[in-house]
Amino acid sequence: MARMKFLCDAERCIECNACVTACKNENEVPWGVNRRRVVTINDGSPGERSMSVACMHCSDAPCAAVCPVDCFYFTDDGVVLHDKDICIGCGYCFYACPFGAPQFPKNEAFGSRGKMDKCTFCAGGPLPDNSPEEYAEYGSNRLAQGKLPLCAEMCATRALLAGDGDTVSDIFRERVTWRGASGFAWGWGVAYNRPGIRRGYAVEDKATGVD
Amino acid sequence: MLWSLLLLFALTLLLPLIPYAVAYVNPETGGVPNPGSDLWRTVREANVGTTQVQGVDSGVLISEYGERWRQYRMQQLAPWGAMVLGAMVGIFVVYYLVRGKIRIEAGRSGKRVRRYTTTEMTVHWILASTFVLLALTGLILLYGRWLLIPLLGASGFSVTATVCKLLHNYVGLLFAAIVPIAFFLYLKDSLFNLKVDGRWFMRAGGYFGGEEPSSEKVNAGQKMWYWVAMLGGFVLIASGLFLDFTNLFQQGRDWLMGAHVVHTIASIGVIAFFIVHLYLATIGVEGALESMVGGHVDANWARQHHDLWYRELQAGQDRPEPEEGLAAGGTTHAGGVASPVAKD
Amino acid sequence: MKLVKKQCTDASPLHAAVLGATIDRRTFLKRSGITAGGIAAAGTLSMSMMKKAAATDRPPTDEGTPAQIRSICTHCSVGCGIYAEVENGVWTGQEPAFDHPFNRGAHCSKGAAVREHGHGERRLKYPTKLVNGKWIRVSWEEALNEIGDQMLAIREQSGPDSVYWLGSAKHNNEQAYLFSKFAAMWGTNNMDHQARICHSTTVAGVANTWGYGAMTNSYNDIHNSQAILIIGGNPAEAHPVSLQHIFRATERNHAPLIVIDPRFTRTAAHADQFIRLRPGTDVPVVWGMLWHIFENGWEDKQFIKQRVYGMDEVRAEVAKWTPDEVERVSGVPEETIKRAAQTMAEHRPGTFIWCMGGTQHTIGNNNTRAYCIFQLALGNMGVAGGGTNIFRGHDNVQGATDFGVLSHTLPGYYGLSEGAWKHWAKVWDVDYDWLAGRFDKEERPGEFFGEEGPSDKSVNSMTEKGIPVSRWIDGVLEDKNNIAQRDNLRAMVFWGHAPNSQTRGAEMKEAMEKLDLMVIIDPYPTASAVMQDRSDGVYLLPAATQFETYGSVTASNRSLQWRDKVIDPLFESLPDHTIMYKFANKLGFGDEFCKNIQVTNEEPLIEDITREFNKGMWTIGYTGQSPERLKEHQQNWHTFDYTSLQAKGGPANGDYYGMPWPCWGTAEMRHPGSPNLYDTSKSVAEGGLNFRARFGVERDGVNLLAEDSWSKGAEIKDGYPEFTDEILKKLGWWDDLTADEKQLAEGKNWKTDRSGGIQRVAIKHGCAPFGNAKARAVVWTFPDQVPIHREPLYTSRRDLVEKYPTYEDRKDFYRLPTRYQSIQAKDYTGDYPLIMTSGRLVEYEGGGDETRSNPWLAELQQQMFAEINIVDANNNNIKDGEQIWLESPEGSRIKIMAKITQEGVAPGVVWMPFHFAGHFEGRDLRDKYPKGSDPYVLGEACNTAFTYGYDSVTQMQETKCSLCRISRA
Repeated sequence: MARMKFLCDAERCIECNACVTACKNENEVPWGVNRRRVVTINDGSPGERSMSVACMHCSDAPCAAVCPVDCFYFTDDGVVLHDKDICIGCGYCFYACPFGAPQFPKNEAFGSRGKMDKCTFCAGGPLPDNSPEEYAEYGSNRLAQGKLPLCAEMCATRALLAGDGDTVSDIFRERVTWRGASGFAWGWGVAYNRPGIRRGYAVEDKATGVD
Repeated sequence: MLWSLLLLFALTLLLPLIPYAVAYVNPETGGVPNPGSDLWRTVREANVGTTQVQGVDSGVLISEYGERWRQYRMQQLAPWGAMVLGAMVGIFVVYYLVRGKIRIEAGRSGKRVRRYTTTEMTVHWILASTFVLLALTGLILLYGRWLLIPLLGASGFSVTATVCKLLHNYVGLLFAAIVPIAFFLYLKDSLFNLKVDGRWFMRAGGYFGGEEPSSEKVNAGQKMWYWVAMLGGFVLIASGLFLDFTNLFQQGRDWLMGAHVVHTIASIGVIAFFIVHLYLATIGVEGALESMVGGHVDANWARQHHDLWYRELQAGQDRPEPEEGLAAGGTTHAGGVASPVAKD
Repeated sequence: MKLVKKQCTDASPLHAAVLGATIDRRTFLKRSGITAGGIAAAGTLSMSMMKKAAATDRPPTDEGTPAQIRSICTHCSVGCGIYAEVENGVWTGQEPAFDHPFNRGAHCSKGAAVREHGHGERRLKYPTKLVNGKWIRVSWEEALNEIGDQMLAIREQSGPDSVYWLGSAKHNNEQAYLFSKFAAMWGTNNMDHQARICHSTTVAGVANTWGYGAMTNSYNDIHNSQAILIIGGNPAEAHPVSLQHIFRATERNHAPLIVIDPRFTRTAAHADQFIRLRPGTDVPVVWGMLWHIFENGWEDKQFIKQRVYGMDEVRAEVAKWTPDEVERVSGVPEETIKRAAQTMAEHRPGTFIWCMGGTQHTIGNNNTRAYCIFQLALGNMGVAGGGTNIFRGHDNVQGATDFGVLSHTLPGYYGLSEGAWKHWAKVWDVDYDWLAGRFDKEERPGEFFGEEGPSDKSVNSMTEKGIPVSRWIDGVLEDKNNIAQRDNLRAMVFWGHAPNSQTRGAEMKEAMEKLDLMVIIDPYPTASAVMQDRSDGVYLLPAATQFETYGSVTASNRSLQWRDKVIDPLFESLPDHTIMYKFANKLGFGDEFCKNIQVTNEEPLIEDITREFNKGMWTIGYTGQSPERLKEHQQNWHTFDYTSLQAKGGPANGDYYGMPWPCWGTAEMRHPGSPNLYDTSKSVAEGGLNFRARFGVERDGVNLLAEDSWSKGAEIKDGYPEFTDEILKKLGWWDDLTADEKQLAEGKNWKTDRSGGIQRVAIKHGCAPFGNAKARAVVWTFPDQVPIHREPLYTSRRDLVEKYPTYEDRKDFYRLPTRYQSIQAKDYTGDYPLIMTSGRLVEYEGGGDETRSNPWLAELQQQMFAEINIVDANNNNIKDGEQIWLESPEGSRIKIMAKITQEGVAPGVVWMPFHFAGHFEGRDLRDKYPKGSDPYVLGEACNTAFTYGYDSVTQMQETKCSLCRISRA
């Protein structure tokens, strides 16, 4: 059985937010609920890298572990889903998740958050596959149609990969091979100080451009 | 031959250690700028990032606190809490079986003494009922997953849990209002008198043998319960409100997790003490419950358990009020203060 | 393998109810009787959490699969393919087009959100009119009649030049072509579109260097690049899918990526070398690099000898740009420049990419020519992986430019000469005299100022370049005696063009208030509807988007793509060509307008329009892309190769995707299109080319034609001029023409021969119809023959003004007086010490009303801001996130949020995105929008603050370097 995974290649992500809007588009996600987001480290400086993150569908999902009503379940593909009818909106899954995937539609007094919503790997929820009810509650069920999550399918540079873990890692491995170790092999950048060797970081030269 | 073998053996062990030694002596040789590892180090340590998506903590890529909280709550907090509470219940089951109900030694005198005012009783019962509700709902939310889902099914328990969550979050506000009132109401009576209360503690209140030591209006144990309940209550209120109203300060997850841990530990602690109070106030001691239900206690009860208080009351009157229907019989509590009222 | 999801239920042992049967929630509620209680009302027990918007409910599943409609994204010039899923006329899904050769299913945030066009909640829904300050709904007939009557009255009183028709880069090709025809038949050249303020300097500079002013290779061709240099461009945000192709080169070819920009952009984050320069110093930097190239003999001497004219004059100019001088002017030190030059020299072929950072200057045409000369020097032209890959902006700005939605030319860059008009009159099948009669022929000899002073020339508005969009406000505000037309502009039609992308917002407001009439034809109201304080005389007409109609669109790489209609026009909107036809009828030239175009229910038939322009666009080869071939390409996306774009088998076998122009001759000839311009390694019949012979055959005794260089298979193995009937006869190829062709070709050249025979025969003999010449590094018709550096009008470096001054003021430039020297003369640096520059955000596009009305995009950029360096912030006591006032030397001010950056911009530079509108100098204008049409996100337009400054050849606005000051609000 395939084990579904996401992988975001930080060397390719350009923070175009296509994954974010693709998810909004496909699942009609309302304003304020962010199933997927792109986080940038070192914005505006050499070494700036971006990564798209949503639910990572962990094997040992912390959200499932802490849920007081045990509303999570795992599909055969390793996708972590939950039942909104059972969810009580307590927010524990949001605390536990390292990636901040669970989202809540409200943030009101008395801890009233509404039902938790999160990335479903475009696999819908416990309601019948591709029914209007499933769509209204959980969004699209692309997996049941033999497709993959739309965020990865629409990524501008193919930074975000989704699908069977073996295939995803094969693709990434091929990329690493293409990129070569030249930039990262110890000493090459210094020893062969030539522009052709990719360094990975943009080198900020001394120019400031302004007097 | 032997020596060469030994030498070979030694070299095999030692040679691979040389790079380590070099690295140890000159740590700079290992410094390879690897953008990949630098990136992940920044992510894990600095925990800062920016994003166009707006929301609490949305700029954090990976947070370690969540997993720590999860491990702590599931591996330690929940099991230990259950053990503590289970132990408390167990202790009193055993105690009851062994010791039985603590009776009024002299028997009921039939004379009643006013112990608590209407205000004190009302506040107590509001406090008690909110607390019990909160404790029960809280425990259901913490332990229901293992205890109640097998009974009710997932959907059924979801309804229960929803109800519990709502009750807990709303009643918590009521609790937050009543605790300060209770604090000030019972404060005077609950201040420790070192001599009397110290002695009471030394004798463990007489619960484990020996005569019951002197007590003021409330004994040292009760005072301790007061302080635990009130201080614990304030902690619960502060952490509870912090968790209840995330919309006020947009508090981040790590703060909420911290508040949650504090809230849970405090609640287990207070509930544990509550079990003691519940036992003693209801089945553990004869004649105790009526003090809070009607506000009166039997004079012999008062003399037995809160002699200093009873004496003060007496001093405030010329003579004790004769009451009809004095119970006949009864023995003097061995070693205790004899009742000034002659038995009939 | 179909992926299966396990159903979750209480069936697992963990959930098995001890008491036997499992109970579901509803049953539990029913039995326990608490539904009636207030607890249920608490809301968390309700089933649905997701907001159900009524308009987007998915209908019950149909028996069949939804229709999959092929279209192209409406946002940028990459031209990503889209599959739209439509059920019962409702756009319900969007699938990635994995088989499309440009994007392979990828999108950016805008492309991934296009389905929202089918929701259209903030769209302009019906024709609206401003009456006494209130928006009143009217009918199309009413609106058209009133507008038409007013326009005819203005025409009567002031002449047709007093109505300005501002067109759009978002028209499809057919609509753009029709728009050009429309303005011509109305009788004015006062029409333009976004290209003026975007890549006009590119088109002028590049076309005047080697013949055509478009992207020479393609996005996909970048796979072949060994080095990539991007100057003044941020494709990671402006053309995100192009990064897919750039990464292919950087990862597989290890091509170094050099980014030259004042700001550390998202593109720079992936670069091998980032060069920060002072805004406006492109020429010093490029000449600085060329200095090292010449110094070290890295130039391609053979290429220059064979195919370039005038490089020696460039050498003389470059020699002045020593490393010290370069650093003094631009701030970039020697080793940086040298490293970049060496990288480009050692990794050939390399490609050179630029965008607005290079074009939007008073010397924009100098910048673009300098970039071309750089590539010529290295011999990077006409090779796969090389070229000047100019990334155009909007989805069809290339098409709109090609179809002459411009004030200075007819479709196909024919210009405005009498010969050009005669050609098009023939194509349009109208009498030339009738057409000429539509124009104002006011004679004002002597009264009128020519370039050299008062002139006897009479104003012939038919052959005189019209006022460009960047200057329309001066057409209104300037004294009418100073304008080379009869009267001021009195009516403005904003057709798919926002106002906040042009500078001098405060004056624009004034101009809008002075007009007699404003007509806005757009799917959204745009800032035009709210930034002025008029109480009457504004009409909003709802136009349909490109998803509600169909037709062809030209991507930046010159490929034409065919869109199918996804949904019917929403609400009461109409497609542009229908609106044009209705106007034409009202204004009295409806019959001539669509003489040979079938019209049904007032909608001109798109395919007929395509066929008509196929008959006229000989100059740039829009003649071979017939509707049939275009549709064939559309249905066979999967057959085109990812790198070469050539179809390998299939019905379009041999064609290049979209038949990138020039696609020579008639459709019958089945020319495959020209994927990489000027590529002599292929024959012209296979898509090869050489440089165009556009500038004559010799100058000052020097041969302008190519020497010892010709395209593969050419029978003339040397340079040759452009083909005319005479030349064919001289070569003895005349009789290769058919009798019919001879009839039309007699007395004509390759541009005006409407049979296409001259082109066909020239290509048959392996020759390029437009000749074989050298590219010229010296443009003797431009103000600066060799590109030189001039300081911006509002410059921070007063010490450089003496050596690098701007131009003299001009009296008549595109009909208007244009200032240069008189503005630069004043020193503003005391009060306005910071350099102000602008750029793009990935979530928004252009003026922004369309994208800010899309909730999925608007959520990601909710505030207008300025990026400020921490040093400047601290100097002005400004903290991150605070509101500030930004003021310009021309007296405008805007109130925006400060975004502090450590090194994103350098100290002394402030950067702003230009997509916001809806606030004006601190006022929130949300209430002024027609109800329900205000975008979700509003903000100040940076162009309210941007200042005067126009390119010396095209009147491009200078939005990349001005001055400002900031203060806490």
